[in-house]
Amino acid sequence: MSVAAHTPIAASGSFLISPNVGLMIWVLVVFLVAAFILWKYVFPVIGKVLDDRAASINSDIDSAGKLREEANQVLAEYQQRLAEARQQAEEIVDRAHKAGDAHHKQVVEETNAERDRKLEQIRSDIDAETQRALDQIRSEVAKLTVQATEKVTRKSLNDDDHRRLIDDALNDLDFSSLSGGKR
Amino acid sequence: MSTITAPAPSGTPNQTPEDAQPKSNAKKLLLGIGGFWLVGLIFFIAVLGFKGHKNAAVASGAFSPTNEFKLDTWFALGPVDFNKGVLYVLLAAAITLGLLLYMARRLKQRPTGRLQVAIELFYNLTSSMTGENLPSRQMQRKYFPLIATLFIFILVTNLIGYIPLPVNSVDKFTIFGAHIPSFQIFAADTNVAFPLMLALVMFLLFSYERLKHNHWNPIAFLRSLMPSGAPGGLMPLIFVIEILSYFLRLISLTVRLWANLLAGHMLIAFMGGELGVLVGSPWVQWLLLPLGIVMFVFEAVLIAGLQAFIFSILSAIYLGDAVSEH
Repeated sequence: MSVAAHTPIAASGSFLISPNVGLMIWVLVVFLVAAFILWKYVFPVIGKVLDDRAASINSDIDSAGKLREEANQVLAEYQQRLAEARQQAEEIVDRAHKAGDAHHKQVVEETNAERDRKLEQIRSDIDAETQRALDQIRSEVAKLTVQATEKVTRKSLNDDDHRRLIDDALNDLDFSSLSGGKR
Repeated sequence: MSTITAPAPSGTPNQTPEDAQPKSNAKKLLLGIGGFWLVGLIFFIAVLGFKGHKNAAVASGAFSPTNEFKLDTWFALGPVDFNKGVLYVLLAAAITLGLLLYMARRLKQRPTGRLQVAIELFYNLTSSMTGENLPSRQMQRKYFPLIATLFIFILVTNLIGYIPLPVNSVDKFTIFGAHIPSFQIFAADTNVAFPLMLALVMFLLFSYERLKHNHWNPIAFLRSLMPSGAPGGLMPLIFVIEILSYFLRLISLTVRLWANLLAGHMLIAFMGGELGVLVGSPWVQWLLLPLGIVMFVFEAVLIAGLQAFIFSILSAIYLGDAVSEH
């Protein structure tokens, strides 16, 4: 079988192109054994690792998609809630404004009414006081008039005289400036 | 390299000196190597002479460059010869199996290290070879292990063929009285037996598939080789061409791999010094050495992988062609 191996050294180059049958058998056996071992013990392992990785990448992509979906949902929910909260806040502020306005208006009205009431009260008090002062002045004037008349006439006056004298004196006096036009 | 030695000017807004430094260093290095090569050439011519003095072994014809590809039987176990071709085949199988079995246990779902990436790259490449060329899932499952093994086995065989090993038992050298085989770069597929056997296996397989696809009918088998829509008058001629080309697949698969590897190894050997030995002029060796280095890199980086790829993808294409309609 080893024809080429036993030809004289450097005899010719023919061994280059004539296949060594022994080597061919070695190649066949070694190649088939190697292919068998690789087929049995190596390729399934590499294939499994790659398939597992592909599966894990796929599931990662899926879960990432799911997560993104969930995140989008949560985001949308939050945006909605935010919008609602904003609307509520606006409503609250609006209501507060309205309430404030109403309260302000009420206070102003009440204040005005109170002021008017007090003014009225003061006015009536003034009128009463004025009336009382006038009456007092009137009685003082009457008293003075009686005393003056007594001193001038040197006689005591009776009630009718008093009355007449007072009326005369009072009719002569003008109280219109004190009583605001009232007599 | 030069970027490490070159001190980078710090704080300069202008980047030109920084960029120019490595370039000029590389240029200097190239000039230095070129100068060294030129000086060496002049030295060899001046000291050892321009005219060659052939070695006695060369002159007598005892030394031949092809001898290093001779499969010298080292020992025989009964009818089984053991030579360096066998050693390389076993070495290739041991490295392939050792590496892949080792890595198969250490593969992680999250890739760790370049070796795993390389193994996965190999797996994906070969599975796409079968995936794209074999029509059915069942065929792909059936032939993927074979195509993948073909690729990795040829690749490893080619690559260990660029490591110099003391396997040239035809031309020995003596050190301290011991006769040691010369170091050489040898690859199992520089012997035609290696690619021929693999091509034969593939040829038988795709012929078997074609025959099976044609319901074991030899006439249908031959008819399936004919391209559809061939004009009637040309049928006989096309038939002959197609039959020839079909059987030439065996030869083309074999010769493509074998001739590429043998020629590559011979070119590296010639450029790397053998031509100088043949003409007996040391300056020729020195002259061709850079070419030898370029050749070595070209073969080891490109041809080794390319030929493994071509052999295995063509096998896949032929298998796919066997079971598809024209």
